[in-house]
Amino acid sequence: MPDLVRMSSIPRHAFFGYWQKVTLILLGVTMACFYWADTEIIALEPWSELQRIALGFLSPDFLATEYLLEAVWQTISFALLGVAAGLLLGAPVALFYNKPLVAAACAFIRSIHELFWALLFLQVFGLSPLTGVLAIALPYGATFARVFSDILQQAPVYTLQNLPANTDKVSRYIYGRFAHVMNEIKAYVRYRFECALRSSAILGFVGMPTLGFYLESAFRQGHYHQGAALLILFIIMIGSIPYWCRAKLLPLYFIAAVWLLPDITTIDGSLVWRFLSDDILPPMFQSHSIDLLFNDKWRLFAQWLYDIVTEQALPGILATVLLAVAALGFSYLLALLMTTFSFKPLTGAFITRLNNFILLILRSIPEYILAYIFMLLLGPSMLPAIIALAIHNGALVAYLTARQSSTTTFSQHFNGKIDGYAYDILPRIYPNMMALLFYRFEVILRETAILGMLGVATLGFYIDSNFSEIRFNGALVLIGATALLNILIDIASRKLLVNGSLSHKPC
Amino acid sequence: MFAIKPLISMFVLLFAPSLLAATFTFTAIPDEDESQLRTRFDKVAVYLEEKLGVEVKYVPVKSYSAAVTAFRNNQVQLAWFGGLSGVQARRLVPGSDAIAQGYEDQFFKSYFIAHHSTEIIADDSFPNLNGYTFTFGSKDSTSGRLMPQFFIERNLGKRPEDIFKRIGFSGDHSRTIAQVQAGVYQVGAVNYKVWESALAAGKIDLNKVDVIWTTPTYPDYQWTVRAGVDETFGEGFKARVEAALLGMTDTDLLKSFPRKSFVPAENQDYEPIENVAKTIGLID
Amino acid sequence: MLDIIDFSLSFGDKKALDSICLSIESGEKVAIIGSSGSGKSTLIRYIYEQLQGSAAYCSQQQGLVESLSVFHNIYMGALGRNAAVYNLFNLAFPFKKPLQEVTTIANSLALDCPISQTVSQLSGGQRQRTAVGRAIYQKMPIFIGDEPFSALDPVMGKRLISLVLQQHQSVIMVLHDMDMALQHFDRVIGLRDGKKCIDTCASGLSAEMLQAFYEGSSIDTDEALGSDTIA
Repeated sequence: MPDLVRMSSIPRHAFFGYWQKVTLILLGVTMACFYWADTEIIALEPWSELQRIALGFLSPDFLATEYLLEAVWQTISFALLGVAAGLLLGAPVALFYNKPLVAAACAFIRSIHELFWALLFLQVFGLSPLTGVLAIALPYGATFARVFSDILQQAPVYTLQNLPANTDKVSRYIYGRFAHVMNEIKAYVRYRFECALRSSAILGFVGMPTLGFYLESAFRQGHYHQGAALLILFIIMIGSIPYWCRAKLLPLYFIAAVWLLPDITTIDGSLVWRFLSDDILPPMFQSHSIDLLFNDKWRLFAQWLYDIVTEQALPGILATVLLAVAALGFSYLLALLMTTFSFKPLTGAFITRLNNFILLILRSIPEYILAYIFMLLLGPSMLPAIIALAIHNGALVAYLTARQSSTTTFSQHFNGKIDGYAYDILPRIYPNMMALLFYRFEVILRETAILGMLGVATLGFYIDSNFSEIRFNGALVLIGATALLNILIDIASRKLLVNGSLSHKPC
Repeated sequence: MFAIKPLISMFVLLFAPSLLAATFTFTAIPDEDESQLRTRFDKVAVYLEEKLGVEVKYVPVKSYSAAVTAFRNNQVQLAWFGGLSGVQARRLVPGSDAIAQGYEDQFFKSYFIAHHSTEIIADDSFPNLNGYTFTFGSKDSTSGRLMPQFFIERNLGKRPEDIFKRIGFSGDHSRTIAQVQAGVYQVGAVNYKVWESALAAGKIDLNKVDVIWTTPTYPDYQWTVRAGVDETFGEGFKARVEAALLGMTDTDLLKSFPRKSFVPAENQDYEPIENVAKTIGLID
Repeated sequence: MLDIIDFSLSFGDKKALDSICLSIESGEKVAIIGSSGSGKSTLIRYIYEQLQGSAAYCSQQQGLVESLSVFHNIYMGALGRNAAVYNLFNLAFPFKKPLQEVTTIANSLALDCPISQTVSQLSGGQRQRTAVGRAIYQKMPIFIGDEPFSALDPVMGKRLISLVLQQHQSVIMVLHDMDMALQHFDRVIGLRDGKKCIDTCASGLSAEMLQAFYEGSSIDTDEALGSDTIA
């Protein structure tokens, strides 16, 4: 009997572990954000427009787009060159990533969306391919630096101990550390290439000659037959990466990408200088401003900054955070559901395959298009944006987690039912899924930018407004605010994961 | 086909940047139907090439602000601007001139349209829009944003954010129509030409959405040529460009804009636009 | 060749090595024995650090690179002899000379798999032989090993130990197998709780001494000390 007594004295909450707590907090915060966010449903008669969209998908018009092959190729080419340049920038930086200053600089670069980089480079390089390639290379390089450094840190150190003592530094590094993680790095670069294809397409939204250029115009102007065709093409392109993106073909593609680069317009050094020395300064410090007393200038500057912060930055930050957190919570629910569906021993081959196909489609459709369709259905609140972000990111996390769960070894007692899944599989993949999800949060936060362009008043909305009013100074202040917000959240989410010490915590 | 050309131009670029300047580059975004931009405007380029005797190239852009940037950076020397973007461009590149406008652009106007559930009845006097949801077109559009906002502020005496329950920027006139028709927004402002061609194409159900107010007329789209083209392309080049534009009679070419014909214009025609933009704070 | 005078080392509040005095002459074959957690690995690591430059080290953890082939893993022994560019090239396109040399070593180790096979596909015994091969390929006068044959059957273990002894001037090795220590080595050092308890020539080591040595130490299975974290 003493044993029984001892057992019953263990409190229930002792079984409530780390991941249960994280999950509960996540859901709680999501509910709060969802409550505060503007989620009113407004649309009254969306059916005629939705019918037109549906008709577009039923009879896509592949011939409506001019220079279609060129656009497809440019999409691939920018992605390829962008990733290559990103590797050149990021791989060496990964070696110094432990220096706080380097890490901070990378976090800053990463936190600015490709679209904003493109908008900035547009002012300097114009519509040259350099704008597109750099807009991908810079944030991707910063991401490579961080991820490579993380991966390299996990490389076992024992090999180094066994190497001859007089081995030179380079060989030591390559054989002793890099060789360990080579496959992991290869897989990551491959995954980032898929991301880069999406980024490259999206750069079309601001004028790069990629698929997005035509896709955005077609959807914006209601040419749904053309838009549907472009979207289908884009999904096929992403879905077929394993077939056309072979390691052996890459050098060939790369040479072709350099060879077929569109015209590089002249880069005028004076433009770069003017942009850096004048355009981005606050209006009262610009060269064409009227002469003012030194003190007046600073007073005006304070006023100008105050207005931007209170009228644009703060409301923008609030909307961005509400939107992103609500989207994160729904991404979690969706990812959990979809991961379960794509576990073959549980749901069978047919459902798994169907689910994987749906995942491909959902993660390939740009959030922008999803948000537009939901906007017609639900009205112009934050709700369409939340759902669009949740679908896209939930599908992506589910896709990545499902890849893991399909290789997870489970016990032979697995009963093929949902309870078996919850006991046997879920605990094994859950930490990884949560880590992916929290990593995605950084991305969700950045992606709210695109939805800002659709009219949801996130920071992206105000940045876009400043660019369209040709106010680079204001845009820059807001981009700085965006970066700061991203960095803060990055630090917080890292703390959360480190405190939970991901690798050691059981579920 | 596009393999050799960029390579050559890259060499040209490396060794003789001055040669490139001999290409006269222009851009244009029509106010409706942005499909097949290059195919359509390459024809215009061919026409200009014939008339001007220099190589002419068309560059597609995505937005008015992108067009202004390209103009400012001398990547295009001629642009078909909206009223507001033209003003912005000429302020950024002093010495640039408006040389022609569309026939319709002399007396352009915007329509205010409303969903039937609002039960606002069309009238000559400005409707009371307090408390409705409202969508503009794109942020930098003259007919979809600048002028409507100006008339709203002048007639109701308040900033739009104090009048409307919710404000949106649909990004495009066609989308403004689609959204008001779907009831996503109750009221919207739209370019009159886009409304009329959508109506003709049968995309509008007048039982669901209709015009409730028409703005007074104002000048809109115009061709602006960059300062310094005479130095680059020879004396009298600007006048030749103007003559070529005004002499464009081929309806196939004019359809791309779409305009009936082009008529002379000058910078001061657009002073009202500049003043309006200053009034509502879109330019300093 | 090596003189250690009154050396101590602790991890936290636990003493890993306690005032060790030890000198080893060139040409000696030394076996280090002791129960788990007695500080053997810490000591051998320390010895290696003192002899770096003239010794090849084969650690208990092996440190093989899973994604590389057997050839490349063994070739890593030659990294110090060759220029960085040569090493990098060899990673992508193996050169003839090292291919031949590594094949010879693999044969002498009785590695029964093709040397192009990746390490992740090897059995435990094959891995251990690959790790030994890497150390041999360093071609150093001294071999320092930390239980390099623990996963091999006794016959194979004996064969390899003869090979190692024959190829090196001096050998210092942590061993699990007492018979092997007595049979092949001329000096035995016993550690208990970080202290040197035995240091004698192998022929002078009696069964009673061994008995006393092992009984005196409680069987300590606590591996938490992590004797290899010294680096």
